[in-house]
Amino acid sequence: MISRRTFVGSAAALALSERLFAAETAAAKPSPELEKLGALALNEAKRLKATYCDIRITRYRNQTMAVRLNPERGTGKTLVVPTVADSGSFGFGVRVIANGAWGFASSPFVTMAEITRITGEAVAVAKANSVLQTKPVELAPVAAYRTRWVTPHEKDPFAVPLAEKLDLIRAAANEVKKSDRVFSSAAQMVFRSEDKYFASTEGSSIQQLCLQSTGGVNATAVDTARGLSKSRRFQAPPSTAGYEIVPVMNLLENASRVREEVQEHLAAPPVTAGKKDLVLLPTHLWLTIHESLGHSTELDRALGYEANYAGTSFLTTDKLGKQRVGSDIVNVWGDRTNERGLATIGYDDDGVKTTKFPILEKGIFMHYQTIRDQAHLLGEKESRGCCYADSWGSVPFQRMPNVWLEPGSRDTSLESLIAGVEDGILIDGDGSFSIDQQRYNFQFGGDAFWEIKGGKKGRMLRSVAYQAKTTDFWTSCDGIAGPAYFQQYGALNDGKGEPAQSNAVSHGCSPARFRQINVIQTD
Amino acid sequence: MLTREEAKKITDRVLALTTFPECAVSLRNSETASIRYAVNSVTTSGFQVEQQLSISVTKDKKTGSTSVTEFDDKSLRDAMKRAEQLSDVAPPNPEFIPGLGPQQYANFDNFVDATAAARSAAMIPAIRAVIEGARAKNLVAAGFFERDATVSVIANKHGLFAFERSTDSRLSTTVRTPEGSSSGWASSQSPDISKIDVAAVAAAAIGKCDRWRNPKRLEPGKYMVVLEPTAVSDLLPLIGSQFSARSAEEGRSFLSKKGGGTLLSEKLFPDFVTLRTDPFDKRNRGMLWTNGGIPAAPVTWIEKGVVKNLVYDRYWAQQAGQKPTPAANRLMLDGGTDSLDALIAGVERGLLVTRFFYLRVVNAQTVQYTGLTRDGLFLIENGKITAPAGNFRFNESPVRLLQNIVKMGVPERAQGGEGEGMIAPALVVKDFPLTSVSDAI
Repeated sequence: MISRRTFVGSAAALALSERLFAAETAAAKPSPELEKLGALALNEAKRLKATYCDIRITRYRNQTMAVRLNPERGTGKTLVVPTVADSGSFGFGVRVIANGAWGFASSPFVTMAEITRITGEAVAVAKANSVLQTKPVELAPVAAYRTRWVTPHEKDPFAVPLAEKLDLIRAAANEVKKSDRVFSSAAQMVFRSEDKYFASTEGSSIQQLCLQSTGGVNATAVDTARGLSKSRRFQAPPSTAGYEIVPVMNLLENASRVREEVQEHLAAPPVTAGKKDLVLLPTHLWLTIHESLGHSTELDRALGYEANYAGTSFLTTDKLGKQRVGSDIVNVWGDRTNERGLATIGYDDDGVKTTKFPILEKGIFMHYQTIRDQAHLLGEKESRGCCYADSWGSVPFQRMPNVWLEPGSRDTSLESLIAGVEDGILIDGDGSFSIDQQRYNFQFGGDAFWEIKGGKKGRMLRSVAYQAKTTDFWTSCDGIAGPAYFQQYGALNDGKGEPAQSNAVSHGCSPARFRQINVIQTD
Repeated sequence: MLTREEAKKITDRVLALTTFPECAVSLRNSETASIRYAVNSVTTSGFQVEQQLSISVTKDKKTGSTSVTEFDDKSLRDAMKRAEQLSDVAPPNPEFIPGLGPQQYANFDNFVDATAAARSAAMIPAIRAVIEGARAKNLVAAGFFERDATVSVIANKHGLFAFERSTDSRLSTTVRTPEGSSSGWASSQSPDISKIDVAAVAAAAIGKCDRWRNPKRLEPGKYMVVLEPTAVSDLLPLIGSQFSARSAEEGRSFLSKKGGGTLLSEKLFPDFVTLRTDPFDKRNRGMLWTNGGIPAAPVTWIEKGVVKNLVYDRYWAQQAGQKPTPAANRLMLDGGTDSLDALIAGVERGLLVTRFFYLRVVNAQTVQYTGLTRDGLFLIENGKITAPAGNFRFNESPVRLLQNIVKMGVPERAQGGEGEGMIAPALVVKDFPLTSVSDAI
């Protein structure tokens, strides 16, 4: 419980967050002031007989700009409705092991006294919990680092004038709304930064800056007489990058396409249900990879640590190195080092240097995603660097790295994948998604669907979803386009854990073809 | 936790930092204690203090918004400056509505000191009881026990100030066989942590796990289902956001009439369906305002099958010449008097559903959702549970679900893993479309 004195005391302090994270990002070592605050927690934890302690002091910034164009009630005149917000969050979390159990406590009051107090709270939580601990927590070894890491970027998105960003999204939304047959349009850009300092009793002191940028446009069309409403969307790949990705989003060009395609979507006939071949574009397939291969290969799920919420996994530990999940051409990587991946970072929230590792090799399940307190459960000697907490106030745990599907051979094109389909559907963009708690049965919609007949892309369809079992689906994969088609999409809000946390993660792939998948007609 | 006086001081201080004619402030301060357990042992747990202040300023209909977690003078001044700068560059918002003046809020306080004070040491006995109960039957427990105490405040330049404090607590548990051949789940929620019925939660989850071993695979199809209150509370609240008058008028909702207009006052559901919002039911945490300060109040959305009200936010209400309404959350579905056993006894052939999982919208206009059954699905034959059944995926709308209700049980507070939950009775529903099998346990 925060006393009045603690609260008022914090209000009298200076605005620390700016000062702490203001140092040149080119510096090789963390800010001395951050290191001093970090050492307070580590020393207090040692004094209280904790056997391990780490502290994360973190500042977040989230800049969102959006413009919605919709008709005014009664007049039909187009109104331009903007949203402009720039929010921040700053605080710290302390994690300890005491009596062999984890304890965690956090606070937004970044003062020396509060860091000492909260460290004591974390130790108290650990000691209280230890009465029910069956085996002491065991951490895989980790090297000590004293370093800084920054998302590779060319242009700080927060330094770009707001007016420039607003002009661009307004132009994109206008471009969509040029047709009277478009009921409403919207465009948005989001920029996020995470300044994070990590120190642990393993000897690490790590300061990192992660930048994420994205944008998109969308449209809605309505046919009141038929009682139908349909949408179309372009989502630029969310990336760890700076403002340099904005010009390559091609917002205006994509806005024109969205305008035409939303009308086509409204006029499209519903799909006829049945077994069909699917050609899935990277804008869509990323989410199928995420749900069916990303989550099923998390070790905490396989061992039952997520049983009460997100669920477990069909990939139990006895299947490691043996289970066929996909066809021979399906090679899948876990990776927190790849360029522009949303989960890409220098060091994870265990202080482990991030890495890349095979998850599926020629369709066979090879490795789980792990963190320090899990590695020994598999007899492994080191963590795979997948530890993450979504806030200073959240407990770090195992979260998904970027999980990507290796492209096919150089001579496989999207056109050749389509040419090999007699009766099928081409799907672009993500839509509805749902999968069971062991990652067997899934159902995915999409944002746009085109019929493929006799090897040719035809008219647009609506009301499409497909259902499959993960292993059936991936073993039916008989074509993946080459590296030239590789694109990386992802989500900023992948949920897991109790209390629920949100992870940002990317999934790259080239277009791929799947045979005889069960397609259903939705409302 | 912040007191009313401390909160007022902070919001007054922030409002005084701007000369803009419009400034709205919201403040949230919470303390949360939680214990997570799995594999019959405690895993990650924590004690979290959080605070956040959001500022929105408007001049000439141009609005800038920001939020901060640092409340020192410099941080607040910087935040206000940032919001004003954002407002300077923002285009005017034609849908902007000036802030409300002082409002009369209900005198409703659902803050329980024992909940606010509970920490790991006080919560551990509950976890121990669940784990020991599972272990005694050679089963494996996982779960989450959390309590929070939260202060919420809103204030603006027109003299509006409202303060609310509330507590809530939640225990849920999943009990599985060691080899993963069965899984059972149960939960309990209350603003008063002493009312969490640990023994009942443990017994229900263990019992479900015991009875669901080796489920029988049934064919997909339309089934008569008995939905336990948790299953209802997973699916039915998804209808709440679809009561928007705006989307109904604009042809984007299930409440849009073909050719134009809305289905307000139309009878869409059976006579016995009455769906309401009651923000002052003591089984829930408090909620004094919604939609930017509109005082929370009981509203009936569906009365005896007739659509009685739509949600008007302040802008749309002004456009439509209507009074603004609270949001359609904290839903309650009126029920009957039958126990769950009595509902089961009335079913010739059907399925008993414990809860749903991974609900995602398939068609926003018809409110069609997909999702799966989880943690206990049982075949009912001739009024009796005769076998555990394998899980299914479904594609269904809560609109059709309300239309297909056959019988209702006694309402209770229920919350699964999907959304805020509601006060829901168990329901017997016909023609529930289970579209494919799931091998998941």
